[in-house]
Amino acid sequence: MKIFLLSLVLLVPLAGAERDMARELDEVARIATVMVDGDVCQRIVTPRALDYMFKQDPHDPWAAGDNYEVNDEAFIAIKKTLERLSRLAPFPCDVNLWMPIAGHPDKIRVVIRNVHELSQFWPWGALYQDMIPQMKQVLGTGRRVTVTEKPGWVSVLAPVYNSLGDTVALVEAVSQKRLDSHENVK
Amino acid sequence: MNMSTRARASTVVVAFTAALFPALAANGTAELQATEEYRRPDPFGGIVAADHGDLSSFWRALSIEGARGAYVSFHLVAKVPTPGPYALTLRFEGDAGNLQLDLFREWFHFTDSDKQYYPDALIPVALPYRSHLPEPDNRIAQQTAQAFWVDLWIPPDARPGAYRARAVLEAGGTSSVLPIELQVLPAIVPDEDVMLMDHNSYGTSWIADDYPNVSRKLGEAFFQSDEFFRLIHAYHRIFYENHGIFHQLGYGHAGKVGPEFAPALEGSGRRRHIANWNLYDRHYGPLFDGSAFAQSRRGSRPIPFVYLPVNPEWPASFINWGEPGYEAEFANVLSEMERHFREKGWTRTHFELFFNHKKRYMGFPWDGDEVRFPRDNKYFLEYGRLLKKALPADTPVQFVFRADVSWDMEHQFKELGGVVNMWIAARDVLSWLPGMPQKLRDRGDVIWYYSGPPVVTEPASTITQFALQGWIWSAGGFVHWLTVDPGKDPWFHFNGGGTALVYPGERFGIEGPIASVRLKIQRNAVQELTLLASFQKRIPVAELKSEAARLYNHTSLAEWYNPRPALADQPTYDWSGTALDEATKPAMSHLEKIDPAGWSRVREYILRLAAEEK
Repeated sequence: MKIFLLSLVLLVPLAGAERDMARELDEVARIATVMVDGDVCQRIVTPRALDYMFKQDPHDPWAAGDNYEVNDEAFIAIKKTLERLSRLAPFPCDVNLWMPIAGHPDKIRVVIRNVHELSQFWPWGALYQDMIPQMKQVLGTGRRVTVTEKPGWVSVLAPVYNSLGDTVALVEAVSQKRLDSHENVK
Repeated sequence: MNMSTRARASTVVVAFTAALFPALAANGTAELQATEEYRRPDPFGGIVAADHGDLSSFWRALSIEGARGAYVSFHLVAKVPTPGPYALTLRFEGDAGNLQLDLFREWFHFTDSDKQYYPDALIPVALPYRSHLPEPDNRIAQQTAQAFWVDLWIPPDARPGAYRARAVLEAGGTSSVLPIELQVLPAIVPDEDVMLMDHNSYGTSWIADDYPNVSRKLGEAFFQSDEFFRLIHAYHRIFYENHGIFHQLGYGHAGKVGPEFAPALEGSGRRRHIANWNLYDRHYGPLFDGSAFAQSRRGSRPIPFVYLPVNPEWPASFINWGEPGYEAEFANVLSEMERHFREKGWTRTHFELFFNHKKRYMGFPWDGDEVRFPRDNKYFLEYGRLLKKALPADTPVQFVFRADVSWDMEHQFKELGGVVNMWIAARDVLSWLPGMPQKLRDRGDVIWYYSGPPVVTEPASTITQFALQGWIWSAGGFVHWLTVDPGKDPWFHFNGGGTALVYPGERFGIEGPIASVRLKIQRNAVQELTLLASFQKRIPVAELKSEAARLYNHTSLAEWYNPRPALADQPTYDWSGTALDEATKPAMSHLEKIDPAGWSRVREYILRLAAEEK
């Protein structure tokens, strides 16, 4: 009984902390929708890089990565905005930029990552990957979605619009209950 | 192990003897034999196929020679056809002076790619060594032979002359003796390696994975524990002892820095400063003052090179990039680091400002590593300006600006001259720039080149090509891009070791890394090459290189280079990997299949010259 009560005392604040984390990240993501300029996002990755992304050359398996390039002014402008957004949270978090790929509705790609190297979805090194159902939902409905699939992780996904009102990207505001200070130092 | 003319003659005799009585061991009698280091034994009494051996590869007596300040090595093979216990002893006879010997049991790795066994990991064992065949932990049901790697250490002050040793195998009520005659030459291998062999790695999370006993015991405290830092220092030690150095990159592609790789920071903008050196100094202090190597046979000395944790997100936050705050944060912290290093007297290590990120990993908008798009070079110029601003002009601390270069190197050597002064160049493109390494060294730059470890399924001698090629090219060093990742199960389902030259020793009760056959072969080649290079006092270096190339793979020096291809005049971002491979084929074709005896011939030449030394 004593152990049960002790566990309860320990668990209740933890659950509360997780709720707080989700709430904070949701607020970050909500503001991101307003602050992140979708037109600039669309200028980040060059058409040439996108063209190479899906080319297959058995003799040159690294062609897509070798030809990946970005317009640095657009990249820097958005990255700085994302970093500022991450500072809204009272705990370490990243705000990553994700974008769909024209002509490949079943794929999604991360475009900007940040200093804590956190993401609930990015398999390390991928230029693009299969569409994440929750991301598809955000891109389709324009509503924010909270994802806690990986134990200890909280991501809030929110849409990014361009000047035409189209949903052209989304942000992943993400943190971890227990940060691993050595993961992805590679 | 050298086969001098005299020694070769005795080898012919013993090989002939072996050929006359090949059935002895098969009849059930245990026998102790030896092979040269490039003929790796298999667990069934033969030589691994890649090393092209046969019965004549096994010797029943050894006559070997070596220079002072160097190791001489060979494989001992205990052939025990009938399962059961055995014992092995190895000792000098008579006055051994200050010579020392080390014995390692060779682990036979089952390699998934070709379903064969290869010896590579070297487990230090005490003498006498007693065990059973089949070796219980290696789990090879039909094993009839156990291989051991023998290192004979000849200190620089050893007495030249003849020494004798004797190895004895006892099994099944019989004993087999292998006599060893070692001739120590007066020549001394110089202290400084002619090629600095670098062994690279990334982060430290792999240490927790490779040493589960200690990391689980300590839990979250592991990464700040004395045990953790002892392990890091043990990796530096094993590479240093084997004539190499060790690099650990301490940050990720989006700028995350491992806490033990950088001092802790506080504040922002003009108030950003270093708050705490604790972990950094525990990590690096013994490496920068050399005390981590106090027990080494090579003597203690500071590590010559180290990565700084600097990246676009450290010490300045990228949020301020291009603004005065970025410059302030960068200059404040770098100048504090310079002061700390100077006050500690850490002035013999080169501190490398190095950018490893690639834009394909989405952290930053330019490639720090292997620039392909020339417009990225402007960032190097800017960081060069920031570094210059941060450091006193007369600092005794050696900061260098390092760039790892491939496609754009020819252009970068010019555009970034005077800013970048340490170059790690891709082997392929450098192959069509003969004379460039010497030019760079003449202007005071460091120039190394890079590739990766050969897998165990290639001939054992393959690894000797890197030191030789670097020396022929006049590069000062070579980088194996990853050397501490032996894969998920190196013991029973090995991936070949293309990213490993050491193994975690925890499985064998050793809290630290253990070496590999490939690392030892590389070490021996480096020490011998260093001796060869020292002869340029009396023999033109071009002649030394030319003869070494001829003996190694029957090539001329010109064949170690490629003609500059037409694509070199095209924009680098238009080069295809396929075209690059084609352009480098001619020179690479001579290095694809190294004759197992290739380095033996070079060594014989070196020791012949050494014997002529006054």
